[in-house]
Parts: sequence; C-alpha cells; structure tokens
Amino acid sequence: MLISCQNLTKNFGDKKALNEVSFTLEAGTPIALVGPNGAGKTTLFSILCGYILPSKGKVNILGQQPGSRELQGRVAALPQDALLDPNFSIITQLSFFAQLQGMTAKAAKIETKRVLELVDMTEAANLKPISLSHGMSKRVAIAQALIGQPEVVLLDEPTAGLDPANAKKIREIVQNQSINSTFIISSHNLDELEKLCDTVLYLESGQLQQSVSMQSEQSTEYITLTLQQADFEQLQSTIGAIDSVINVKPISHDQLLIEHNKSLPYYIERALLDLFEQNQWQYKSILKGRTLEDTLFSN
Amino acid sequence: MDHNIPSTMRQIGLITQFEMTKRFINRGGMFALAAFTLVWALIILFPVERASSLLMNPSFKELVNNLAGPETFNQLFAAPVAEYAVLWCIALYVFPMFSLFISADQFCSDKQRGTFRFLTLRVSREQLFFGRFIGQMLIQAVLIIIALLATFFLVLTRDSSLLLPSMSAAFFMLINLIIVLLPYVAVMAVFSLIAKTARQASTFAIVLWTITSIIISIINTQYPNLAFLHYILPGSQISSMINSLGLSALTFAPIPIIQTIILLFLGKVIIQRSAL
Repeated sequence: MLISCQNLTKNFGDKKALNEVSFTLEAGTPIALVGPNGAGKTTLFSILCGYILPSKGKVNILGQQPGSRELQGRVAALPQDALLDPNFSIITQLSFFAQLQGMTAKAAKIETKRVLELVDMTEAANLKPISLSHGMSKRVAIAQALIGQPEVVLLDEPTAGLDPANAKKIREIVQNQSINSTFIISSHNLDELEKLCDTVLYLESGQLQQSVSMQSEQSTEYITLTLQQADFEQLQSTIGAIDSVINVKPISHDQLLIEHNKSLPYYIERALLDLFEQNQWQYKSILKGRTLEDTLFSN
Repeated sequence: MDHNIPSTMRQIGLITQFEMTKRFINRGGMFALAAFTLVWALIILFPVERASSLLMNPSFKELVNNLAGPETFNQLFAAPVAEYAVLWCIALYVFPMFSLFISADQFCSDKQRGTFRFLTLRVSREQLFFGRFIGQMLIQAVLIIIALLATFFLVLTRDSSLLLPSMSAAFFMLINLIIVLLPYVAVMAVFSLIAKTARQASTFAIVLWTITSIIISIINTQYPNLAFLHYILPGSQISSMINSLGLSALTFAPIPIIQTIILLFLGKVIIQRSAL
C-alpha cells in the first residue's frame, strides 16, 4: 500500500483544516487531489511530507510514519511556496540534496544535470535562484523532487503560474516519470488532472467528499457531445429516444452529457452521426466518457 | 533506483560542510569574514601590542597589584607570552559578542523561505539541527584560529625564542574559547528556530541577557544563598576566567558544557515540534 490515512484531523485553532479524512492509495498511475481553495489540500500534503503533525488520526506512507528516516529519499515533494537558498547556485543546491540522499559528489552532479534536463533547465544550472522567473523556479523545484527517482512524488499545484507550453512540459514529465514513481498532484485545473490521473480524491472544507477512479468499471457509460450548431431541444429529445440511452443532460450552452447502458460497440456514436446527417447539424466533438468536472459535480 | 540512506554521521557531516561553505565561500560570508579580520587586525596591532608592552613593565605590574590586590591578575602578569595574556582578556569578551551575531541565522531564513521543506525530506530535523550547530562551532573555531595566528606572528616578530610557549598558549586558548562559545552558539540555535529573522534572534539574545541579569541581581540581593543562579546565563564564568590562563582555565569548562547540553536538548525539542 502506498498511503493510508485513518480519521486524519488537523486543527488550526478553532478551524478544522482536515476533518476525519480516511483513504488508502495504491502505487501506480498518478493520483489527483482536487478541491477548492481552503479545502485542506496543502494541509494534507504537509502532513504526508512530515512538515506538520496531525491533531488526530493515523497516516502511513510506504508503511512508515511521515518524516521518518526510512522515507528519506523515497518520498519527494514540490512544496507550495518553498524557495531554494538565494546564496547558492541551482547545481550546488540540487547536488547537495542528491548527496544527502546518499550519492557521491560526482554522482550527485550527474543526477542534478539529469533532472534539470528533464525540466529543460540545463542552462540555468549555474544561476542563483534569485535570477529565475516564477515559472523557471517552479521547474527547478520539480527537478529537485525527481532526484534519485523517489517512489512517491507529491506535487502541490505544479503548473500554477506556468505558461501553457511549460504546463504541457510538466504534464509530459509526470507521464514519463510515472513508470518509476507514483505522483500525487494537487491542482485546481481539472482538465489537466483528467489528462494525467486515474484516481481522484476530492476534498472540500477539510472533508473527503469523493474518491473516484476514472477507469473503473461501471454499469452505465457516458458520451460527452459538443455541438457547433443544432436545435438543442429537438436534439435532446431525439437522442433520448435512442435505444439504451438512459438520460440526456445539457452541461453547458453547447454540450450534452449522454448516459447510456452498455450497448454494441459504436451503436450510440453511429446513431448520433446519422442524426446529425439527417438534420444537417454540426458537431465539434464526441467524447467517450465524461470530464472530471462532470464526474465530480454531476450530482 | 536503489535508496541507500547514508549514515547519520555522514549526513550531519554534509550539513556541517554546507554551513561552513555558506559562511566562507559566498559573497555575504566573505564580507563578514573580511570585516572580522579587519577588526581583529586593529585589536591585535594596537591594544594587544601596546597592552602587552605595559604588562611586561614592572612598574605597571606594581601599580595594578596596589590597586586590585596581588592575587587578582597575578596569572596574567606571570604569563610567558604577554601578547596572549592580553588577547585572552579581549577574546573572552569579544568572541562571545561576535558569535551572537555570526550565528544568529542558523535556521530563521531557511525556515521562513521554506528551504527546510526541501531538506527535511532528505535528512531528519535533528540531523539538520546538530549539523548546523557543529558547522557554526567550526566557523567560530576558524575565526579564533585567525586571531591566534595573527597574534602568533606578532609575538615571533618581537622574540622568536617564544615559539614553543606561544604554540602552547594558543592551543589552550583555542580549546578554552571554543568551550566558552558553545552555549552562546547554542542559545542562538534556539533563538533562530523561534525568530523570523536573524535580527529578531539577536534582539531575543540582548533581551535574554539584560532581563535575566537584572532578575538574577535582584534575587541575589534578596537571597544571597541563591548566588549560584547566575550560572544559568551563558558567559557568567567569564569574569572569573580572566586570571586563569591555559590548562587552569579548563576548570571552568563544566559550566558552559552543561549549559550547552541543556540548550541543545531544548533546541532539539523545538525543531521536532515546530511546523515547517
């Protein structure tokens, strides 16, 4: 088991930042931690990293207490708002971290260059943190989390403040490195998490509201239909009349969510295309499944 | 990739080494070191040289004995190398004061900046605490050695036959000064864990010495039996140490060592419990 939390509670004065949160996570594909501001995501990350102690409850990572010696070098993190020492160059600090993880000075330098290359920051190796932009600092901080290929990597808002090109680059790194490490990513960006993660934990007001698996077997299936031009009302009723369709629900001004029973492969898709042809309606996309946003907030 | 956690001592050693690099290699540290060397150059060239000439003057010795009593500074006058006797008197007061400022930022900046969060995933908080404390003590040792070496050359330019007594005096002075500084650096380790900035940690130190001295003086006036209370404060033994050079000064060592053990234990508890 990767992580297990039982009745995890953290109080800051009168405020319950986490309230009786319990879950277990297995190693594998990236895991998303979702929730609005103040939901307790960073508090949960801080407990998992051993930065703060829970007020109540139990937590285990790889069978150990957070912050224990056995986890050194096995759990890495991109902590929110943490900065490197402005007095030393990036390569000096990252090499120092690698040495603390047990590498020789030479191996540490090679490892530092490897992780900086992963985040496309090789040219900044000899710069001091103060001369880096916000996006560059974030990439360097992600690079430090990849030193020594840790088993668990916790990324708190990894793409916040990054331009789309760099955010894409970070997603690619997570996808590529997922072979070696299990990533746990907190973010507000549901589209981004949907592209990366299978398991999703949804926190709200310090409580775990949902824990869903995007790939799990379910009795019904979904199609998300995005339209360019169509008679929405007529379309909704016509689709509703197709065999095996259970429900058709508008989810935005140009999107419909179709819930249907498991049927013959592409049966619904074919029926939809026939319908568009007959009525000369234009569509933008037919997406199998539903978005993470719809999965979490469908009720 | 295999995860071979290095030994505790190796990790402490790496932290110590990094702490020393911070002081001596980077630009800010170099400026501080240059300022320190300049101050000591002035101290050694003027007060030490002049005062040592005075110390060797029999009429000055007679005057001091008449004013302060024959036993008060007899060890100083009997010192084989007068320059070291004078340096001893100055160093006993100046080094602790310097150490308070030099070691004021053992933890606060890193804690405020969040740099600790990168480190504590790789080493334990205790290793970080003790590694940095040892690093700071080694920095103090280097600074003491610089002052002792400068005095050593001053002595040899006056009388090269004093080579051996100078080496012996310098060695015991180094050991004694390191022991004297231990609780000062430990106090600053504790304060820099609580304070937000190095300046605030230094302010805490000034407040500690002022308030505690006043409270202890008041208690001692009312209850003379509680005179031992002044040993709570680091440096309380310094005034008694002036007239005991070399090996004999080591008899005062238990006081700062006990103070250091207590302070380090306190620091360990604080770093274990604090949120990063």
